[in-house]
Amino acid sequence: MQTKRLNPVRRFFAIRGMASAMIAFAALIVIYVVFGLSNANVFSAANIQNLLRSMSKYLIIGIGQSYLLITGNIDLSIGSVVGMSAMISATLMTHGVNPLVAAMIALACCLVIGLINGLLVGKAQLPPFIATLGTMFVARGVGYMINGNRNTDAIASGIGAQAGDSFQNFLYYGKTLGVYNTFLVAVAVFIVFFFLLSKTRTGRHIYAIGSNVDAAKLSGVSVFVTTTKAYMVSAFCAFVVGLILCAQASMGNMEAGNMYEMYAVAAGVIGGISPLGGTGLLLGTFAGAAVWQTLENGLNMIGAQVGLQRIVIGVIVVFSVLLDVIVRRGTRKRSK
Amino acid sequence: MGDVIVTMEHIYKSFPGVKALDDVHFELRSGEVMALLGENGAGKSTLMKILSGVYTRDSGRMEIFGQEQGDLTPRLAQELGVAIIHQELNMCRHLSVAENMFLGREKTKLGTLSNREMEDEARKILNELKIDMDPKKVVGELPVSKQQMVEIAKALSTNARVLIMDEPTSSLTSREIDDLFRIIRELKAKGCGIVYISHRLEELQYIVDRVTIMRDGQYITCTNYKDTSMNEIIAHMVGREIKEKFPRVNCEKGKRIFEVKHLNAGRMVRDISFELNEGEIVGFAGLMGAGRTETTRAIFGVDPKESGEILLDGKPIHIHKVADAIGAGIVLAPEDRKKDGLCTKLSLRHNIALPNLDMLCNGLGVVQRGRETEMCEHAVENLMIKTTSIEKEAATLSGGNQQKVVVAKWLARNSRVVMFDEPTRGIDVAAKVEIYHLMNKLKQQGIAVMFVSSEMPEVMGIADRIIVMCDGRITGELSAGEATQEKILTLATSFEKKVAAANE
Repeated sequence: MQTKRLNPVRRFFAIRGMASAMIAFAALIVIYVVFGLSNANVFSAANIQNLLRSMSKYLIIGIGQSYLLITGNIDLSIGSVVGMSAMISATLMTHGVNPLVAAMIALACCLVIGLINGLLVGKAQLPPFIATLGTMFVARGVGYMINGNRNTDAIASGIGAQAGDSFQNFLYYGKTLGVYNTFLVAVAVFIVFFFLLSKTRTGRHIYAIGSNVDAAKLSGVSVFVTTTKAYMVSAFCAFVVGLILCAQASMGNMEAGNMYEMYAVAAGVIGGISPLGGTGLLLGTFAGAAVWQTLENGLNMIGAQVGLQRIVIGVIVVFSVLLDVIVRRGTRKRSK
Repeated sequence: MGDVIVTMEHIYKSFPGVKALDDVHFELRSGEVMALLGENGAGKSTLMKILSGVYTRDSGRMEIFGQEQGDLTPRLAQELGVAIIHQELNMCRHLSVAENMFLGREKTKLGTLSNREMEDEARKILNELKIDMDPKKVVGELPVSKQQMVEIAKALSTNARVLIMDEPTSSLTSREIDDLFRIIRELKAKGCGIVYISHRLEELQYIVDRVTIMRDGQYITCTNYKDTSMNEIIAHMVGREIKEKFPRVNCEKGKRIFEVKHLNAGRMVRDISFELNEGEIVGFAGLMGAGRTETTRAIFGVDPKESGEILLDGKPIHIHKVADAIGAGIVLAPEDRKKDGLCTKLSLRHNIALPNLDMLCNGLGVVQRGRETEMCEHAVENLMIKTTSIEKEAATLSGGNQQKVVVAKWLARNSRVVMFDEPTRGIDVAAKVEIYHLMNKLKQQGIAVMFVSSEMPEVMGIADRIIVMCDGRITGELSAGEATQEKILTLATSFEKKVAAANE
């Protein structure tokens, strides 16, 4: 029996989720060109640099949320975990703690939230919307209380101007090989989690429980362990974004990461990650984050109001999911 | 035929209130297909769930591949080589064939999935079974029959040597059945033992070596297929004695009230025609999944109809949605009262009032509480619903009383046709008798009663006329006088012949 050989292009699009990811990339190009034609500055090297740096936050947080969306769950707590990460690391640094140590402590705290989410959703079987709504408030509250309900001072006041500068440069203001470090960090996070999702057993199980949780269970997949791993990934991503925001502001802002859980859902969904679970590629999340940032950037540059930006983004999110629903309905009919 | 690979002796299993298995014996040899036969509720599935580790037995001896077994878990059963092909397929539709086959047992190298290796092995297994399928294909894009073959291949990839197939042909076309039978023969040749559960008795001749027959949780017999006949099998399946007494009321058969002509609605409702007359209860018998529930739903306007005509008092009526049916006086007491019949978290008052709000509201759409109270109390009294108050949650009532509430909803208005779908399922004997009395009362009042039930004795005891369905079609009609269990079961298993002659 011979398996049909597809030509490389068809083989590429035969990869599950690739078509929707590519649609998002196509949309990205269209949006970018349209804005570029109305304002030449959009195409400038400086703007491209800025775009890449700004989209990094959405990309990283979007990766975290995508893991949950693929399992058929959601994580509403990640925005608050971003804030918690920023506040814990900044507060420690203002007290003179070495940035690396401060970051590790913040990471540990974030992972605790991820673990709690995993226990609540995977073990206690709470609806993920409710469980992570709870941890969302808790994590935000912890972030508030770390520095006595106010933003921190500049981190340089604790670790000194030199250490403060190098921390800020490392994560936000510096460049390596002509590219902002922030984007390089995002790409590194992307590569690691892309590998984890597509090439490891854990990744396979994440798709499986999102596709059919009963079948996964009957095949010996632990739903609890897999769900918890996904929540740990999203907590880790939130931690990284928190550090970036801390480096950008040179201080801890109590409201850091506000609404990021929703931006993350948007990035994933625009990129073709199905909120119903089972399908999606992180490549799509990449495109989704870029679409989001390009819209924000482009609408800004042509002087559109903030309100209009929100409306456009809202419409695009709904449209993406509608597309997903229509496509699913179509394939179900065809398979009958 | 090879060695005995599964032996089950003196197996007992009870669930709260039911003796599901009562001293059951079962034996399977390698390289044979053993048909496990019996009516719905005979205990076939329970027995197989014990063999595959889903349930544990209360007592009895079980031996698999010559080894005495204690309590099994699904995992343990799988390791022993017992696999069950579920009736409802259990696949991840977004994953590929190979990914599904190796789910939970993925091969990895240095933590990285060895996709190539898994695909090659999947291809090897598929080739062995002569199944033409690309292991990279996404399962959701395959037709149901192919998905089933993936399940079989998956079972083999775990080295299963005991395969349990529960109604494997129910959703297949005749060509697909040919393929399945071919695969079953391959499996036999490889020395697997296959347990084949099916109601399609005419298929047995093509593949089955032996049959085990069960009835009411008891082992009846086990014989070579060659040494028995279809009539003998059916006689063994139904030979149950009727102990209960049914309160039959004889009425003068009156004028025709309700008529359905050539109703079609999907695969499970095909060219259904029947009539209901004043003063009679018409029973609908058949096996589970025969299309009786679907028929009631189509008539009631829940599911869309493709074609057909419905006449009430000789005049055609059009039912596009449930409200049309209710408006015409045609009502349904559905099969699953907790899911479809009642809002269990609401009070009796709210449940009974729900379909009658049009009568209970004033011009502004405000519910007239006084009228509501009157209606509900009248209904409770009329149907003798045992409750302390109409404010009680429906969930707190016993099954029989819940069923009465479902009926009470409809009797508050002047209904002409009442369809009961399995009204006595899961309620105790005393409550059953009350439901029978209720149906008799409706019959005496001149209301047309349609009574769907899978319990043959009950249908024979209550209905004046019995219509038998099988696989979405009406396969026969019997009067109460001429009906026997054998006749009903023969009609209920008259499946359309789907197996091609190539299998001979």
